[in-house]
Amino acid sequence: MNAITTTSCGLLEVSSLSKSFGGVRAVCDFSFNAQPGEIVGIIGPNGAGKTTAFNLVTGVYAPDKGSVKLDGVELSGLRQDVIARAGIGRTFQNIRLFKGLTVLENVMTASDPYAPYGFFSAILALPGKRKADREAADKAREYLNMVGLGGMEDARPESLPYGLQRKLELARALAIRPKVILLDEPAAGLNPSEVRDFIELVRRLHERFNFTIVFIEHRMEVVMNLSHKLFVLSFGKLLASGDPETVRRNPEVIEAYIGEEE
Amino acid sequence: MLQNIFFGLSLGAVYSLIAVGFALVFNILKFSNFSHGGVMSFTAYAGYLAYILLFDGKITGVTMFVAVVLVAALVGAVTAVGIERVGFRRLRRNQAPVIYYFISSITLGILLENIITIFASSNFYSYPVFFSSSNIQIFGTSFSIADFVTLLFSCVALGLLLFVLYRTKLGLGVRTVSFDVNTASLMGIDADRVVMATFAMSGALGGISGVFLGMNYSLYPQLGQLVVKGFIASVIGGLGNITGAVIGAFLLGIVEVGLIGMVGSGLMPACVFVVMLVFLLVRPQGIAGKIVQEKA
Amino acid sequence: MDYIYSILTLTGITMIGVMGTYMVTGLTGQFSFGQAAFMAVGGYVSAMLTLRFGLPFPVVALLGAAAATLAGWLVGLPTVRLRRDYISLVTFGFGEAIISVLNNSAQLTGGAEGLVGIPKRVDLPLVLVSVICCLFLVACYKNSRYGRQSLALRTDELAARSMGIDVNRMKLVTFLFASAITGYAGVLYAFYSQYLEPGYYNWTVSAEWLIIVFVGGINSLTGAMLSALVLTTLPELLRFASSWRILIYCVIVLLIINYRPNGIFGDWEISRLWKKKTSAGASKA
Repeated sequence: MNAITTTSCGLLEVSSLSKSFGGVRAVCDFSFNAQPGEIVGIIGPNGAGKTTAFNLVTGVYAPDKGSVKLDGVELSGLRQDVIARAGIGRTFQNIRLFKGLTVLENVMTASDPYAPYGFFSAILALPGKRKADREAADKAREYLNMVGLGGMEDARPESLPYGLQRKLELARALAIRPKVILLDEPAAGLNPSEVRDFIELVRRLHERFNFTIVFIEHRMEVVMNLSHKLFVLSFGKLLASGDPETVRRNPEVIEAYIGEEE
Repeated sequence: MLQNIFFGLSLGAVYSLIAVGFALVFNILKFSNFSHGGVMSFTAYAGYLAYILLFDGKITGVTMFVAVVLVAALVGAVTAVGIERVGFRRLRRNQAPVIYYFISSITLGILLENIITIFASSNFYSYPVFFSSSNIQIFGTSFSIADFVTLLFSCVALGLLLFVLYRTKLGLGVRTVSFDVNTASLMGIDADRVVMATFAMSGALGGISGVFLGMNYSLYPQLGQLVVKGFIASVIGGLGNITGAVIGAFLLGIVEVGLIGMVGSGLMPACVFVVMLVFLLVRPQGIAGKIVQEKA
Repeated sequence: MDYIYSILTLTGITMIGVMGTYMVTGLTGQFSFGQAAFMAVGGYVSAMLTLRFGLPFPVVALLGAAAATLAGWLVGLPTVRLRRDYISLVTFGFGEAIISVLNNSAQLTGGAEGLVGIPKRVDLPLVLVSVICCLFLVACYKNSRYGRQSLALRTDELAARSMGIDVNRMKLVTFLFASAITGYAGVLYAFYSQYLEPGYYNWTVSAEWLIIVFVGGINSLTGAMLSALVLTTLPELLRFASSWRILIYCVIVLLIINYRPNGIFGDWEISRLWKKKTSAGASKA
């Protein structure tokens, strides 16, 4: 029980993360890790602090205590955008697309922080800028094709159906070419066939890029199908961890879930 | 010295009325309500009109002052409720982004100002002199009665407001809605009613401050632009925080009077700006406030 | 004829000023409430450099825009880190501060009486060329990585950060560019009207620009420009009193905000016509 994997030098190494909001301990001493190419699920009842944990890892909040290491580099306390550029991409529970931009431009924003042209090339639309933008657009198109959004480049994100918006958010997060991608309830609000579709998509992308995925999910179908390793969070604390089957049979986990349903 | 502090306090009292009126609306709808300035101008004129048309020659002195203040407060409340209907109700229904509220409020402020300009022209009018003697002697120093009354009345108005906010059911509703409009409506609170009541309270305070501004300066359509003082004060105090707004307003009043003594009234706005910038750098959340963070 | 000539010139200058407001409000979603102050900085600096040192117009035009940028840096640097509505307060305060300084430095700037004797260097053709050039620069900016990142952070700062966008820096860059453009509008005004007074740069001018941007639609540069054109010339030509004009503006804005919240033009840009043509041509080929 509570067999916390202690493999050293994981790609993403999160240890004893803690955060309180006005006396409420949202996350307490939470540790988890992910090896290169691993798909890790984080599950737990509502309000267990899963999203808060993501927010701590990505720098939305600064943790009260604990460390977040990516490839051995300490990230906690850094700015959110710095952490993103270090190689952690994410999606959001409630989809957060850029409404003022087209579908293509949404994905292009991923490469914009690195785009190899300066202010004056931008305002004068110099050839270097045009070339860089063309390449960025091509790259973005590739990502859109990958998630099945090809041909919708000029649409407005808010005009897409819900399932496609989720995919767009995924494409956008992929486009920053993260080492680790955090998916916050990626299957929420999808219908059963979309869920199966989604599982396939994640598998395909994972095969292609072999990046590390950490995801939060409630749908057991997704959890059991995708994850190599599971961490269970309850009331901000790590309840159990291990391979999906073991975790599923863990009595404490069952109790936490059943306890919630009462 | 003592006189100056007193003047600063009385200025702060007027600012605090403005700031609280401003903070009340920020508190529930989370935007900076610049239409408050329009309400202030409007009520200042309404008070003046009431004096000319209704009260002149019938009552005098303190009675008249109280009557004018009451009329202004009433007009302010009605105007603010109207503003909410025209400017913000639909935006709330559409769940419009904050920038729309902001633009709507600026627009309404400018609109009221220009309506006044059209009907009253941009002439200056002066308020009646309410009090026969202008100064009283306490401890050998003379204090202006107008300042004294301003301070007194502001404190009464603020006390009344705090009572409503913290001791009545309506106040509880306001505080709940300020937490989260949507949750509050799920909890069975009639959000529309609470928002309306808040605007009414804010408008009444705006009305009272309008009369004080009219007395202290004179009556002109742009009078309401002093709403900025309330804005600055509530930023200093922590946006949306009522107590913070009061503290911020008194601080601002005293600082301004101090600066007038040091650099003269001409350069005072520039110095206030620098002070404010430094303050925002050092303590962006204000004296009492917490930083309002986006939810992830 | 002279009258129409002068209206067109002033409209052109307003359009350039509105571009600044468009960038700050339309691109990064900050409420610029003292944009006119940057116009004052550009105008006064360039005029004073000419009057004192006799520098030629092209040089002072550049220096005026540079001074406005510097002012933008002073105001923007501390502000971009703060909550968005603070920038309205800070820009407003800055505007009032500039006016109070101008009013109280009579020896240097002529004070409240105004600065006179500025040579006439600006005419309608120059303003038209300027409008086209500035429009080109701003449109390119919008359609570059800077514009995209600004628009991204306007809708969702948190998501923008999660994409690795340095939100504060981007806000500052856009703010500075806007200050420069507005400063240049100030230069044009100074050398067209040959007379400057602090009262002209009142916050109501900034608010008017904000309203113009809003009527056209905060997502559309095309809309902002057309609305600047129409809302400045039409009332002048119809000879409305200024308070009536503003009254009508206000009513229009209220109607738009309530019933057509994306402005008249939504996010439509004139460049789309051109884009559609090229993409149609490309698909044929």
